Amino acid sequence: MISLRRRAVAGGMLWAAVTIILGLAGLSSYTLGATKQRFIDDVTSRHTQVLVAVANYGDNSTALLRSIGDPSYQLPFSGQYWQVANDEGVLFTSPSLVETVLPAPAAVSAEAETTEIRGPNGEQLFSVGQWLTLEDGTNWHVQVASNLGTLDADIINLRQTLLFAFFIICTIGVVGALVQVMLVLQPLNALRADVTRRWDDEDGMQASSYPVEVAPLVDDINTLLKRNQEIIGRSRRQAADLAHAIKTPSAIMRNELAALQTKGVGVSDALTALDTLDAQLKRSFARMRADGTQNAMPVLTDGTETLSRMVRAFTALARNADRTFASDIASDLRVRVDKSDLEEILGNLLDNAVKWSKAHVHISAAQEADRVVIRIEDDGPGIAEEDKPKATQSGQRLDTATPGTGLGLAIVDDLVQAYGGTLTLDRSEEYGGLCVKISLEAARAKRSR
Amino acid sequence: MRILLAEDEPVLADQIRSVMKSEGRVVDVAPNGVEAQFLAETEPYDVIILDIGLPERDGISVLKSLRANGVDTPVLILTARNDWSDRVDGLDAGADDYLAKPFHMPELSARVRAMIRRNVGQTNPVFQKDDVSFDSRNNQVTVNGIPKNLTAQEVAVLSYLFHNSGRLVSRTELSEHIYQFDGDRDSNTIAVFVNRLRKKLGNDLIETVRGRGYVIKAAA
Repeated sequence: MISLRRRAVAGGMLWAAVTIILGLAGLSSYTLGATKQRFIDDVTSRHTQVLVAVANYGDNSTALLRSIGDPSYQLPFSGQYWQVANDEGVLFTSPSLVETVLPAPAAVSAEAETTEIRGPNGEQLFSVGQWLTLEDGTNWHVQVASNLGTLDADIINLRQTLLFAFFIICTIGVVGALVQVMLVLQPLNALRADVTRRWDDEDGMQASSYPVEVAPLVDDINTLLKRNQEIIGRSRRQAADLAHAIKTPSAIMRNELAALQTKGVGVSDALTALDTLDAQLKRSFARMRADGTQNAMPVLTDGTETLSRMVRAFTALARNADRTFASDIASDLRVRVDKSDLEEILGNLLDNAVKWSKAHVHISAAQEADRVVIRIEDDGPGIAEEDKPKATQSGQRLDTATPGTGLGLAIVDDLVQAYGGTLTLDRSEEYGGLCVKISLEAARAKRSR
Repeated sequence: MRILLAEDEPVLADQIRSVMKSEGRVVDVAPNGVEAQFLAETEPYDVIILDIGLPERDGISVLKSLRANGVDTPVLILTARNDWSDRVDGLDAGADDYLAKPFHMPELSARVRAMIRRNVGQTNPVFQKDDVSFDSRNNQVTVNGIPKNLTAQEVAVLSYLFHNSGRLVSRTELSEHIYQFDGDRDSNTIAVFVNRLRKKLGNDLIETVRGRGYVIKAAA
């Protein structure tokens, strides 16, 4: 699809071009016609003037010449000429003709006749001639000619003026079209930007802050976003319900088998199979969660609140394990990660930290530029450099002696990556054990209302 | 030691109950949230094992009400969900520990034991008073290193007194913590158990405060 901007600009330009060309054609045809008509009217009125003069002073050349007093007839070869003739030949000419005469008139006719003729210097002349019969029965031919060159010059001049004017109109039209397109598309551009940041405000986008034409679209987008959230939420709940439905029977089987084992019945194969089943389920559910996350719209979570919740929860768990648990959480942290995913990430990491630490676990979170950086440190054995790549692989357990499915870090890594974040394993400077650093995209600061 | 088990799956509840019983604890089972809350608010339990996915009233709501009503019995939540959100919900609502299903029964026993101990401020699972030693992990009782055979009820009485050593425990309190809800609570039988314990473990271990109850004095 061609972009709206391109369509609007092209449409505007095309429309402007058609309007301007039609306007130019219409206006120039009208003004050209008017200019020509004015020229003809001028020649005709000159002819009438000479005609009247001949009627009055036909027998008196001095009086005739005086009565046709236009100065342009006095200037030699000025381009304005008159000539009076009768059956026998030329009688009077304007002084501008000097010694020359205009071509001989056609046969006697009462009608005025207009022709184009050659002038004394070979120039094109427009001529009006007419036979006049006086009261005494004599026939006079009265002819007036005017240089067509002046008309051509007028027309060229007029065309240039018109073209210049239309060039200016064109420029204004194009600039206007661009400005209009920009103004009209502005709400759409704003919408696009808002969709990118859609959940920066807890209640989505405000339809009322868009023009009425765009507002329904905003409503639709809000609905779709909400539905997307609901679908993911529902599938998560279904997965959780499925997990619930499977795990209780699995626990029952495990207990029955354990009871049989204490009675000396050989059930170790069954127990191993059950372990495999449980691990496989856990892996599948983790995969379902990560897949769901990949399809999810990024949402906004109050990082400080979630982190504080995790801190409260793990304070109890660390106390149970005889560890000290300290935290340093900055206020107003907002991350573009689903809340339950963030809890999954933190839960797995803190669980690992408590499990592996000797005495101390520490969590800190702060905003660094446009990222929220969370560090979880402990005083445990850490992870050897060569084992680090393996640590985030699903099912890889670095120490098979400690219970676990080896999924924790892999789940965390999958989730962090699904949100475009990074997970780094380092040595804790302060505690000497592992320092897991998570960097997640921060949402912009809360809008003050 | 008396435990409230709030679990709606009868088979699993039975399994847990029989394991707990074999370890000398008495268990009341509540199959739904409403009953769990009623029992927890009216009976003096040493530990509450609370499944989150209970019918009628979910575990988290029950836990929140209990804490809001001042019931500070240690609570272990059981969750069958994979999400950390569930566990964090529980811990944030005031649970002391959690266990995810499917769990290993010894793990549950160990957690319950540790919770009971922590609640009374004891760190060592092995209690010692003069010649008598009581290992709360396997209910082994020895006098001068020689194992002694005790009945489940004798263990229950001894365990409760050891866990509360240094504190006077009334017969009523003892009976409340060694009999289950629908059990026959005759506080006179407590005197019978104490006498048997004295015969097996010596007269000096449990002191009688006339008319008030019994005490195992804190080890020097």
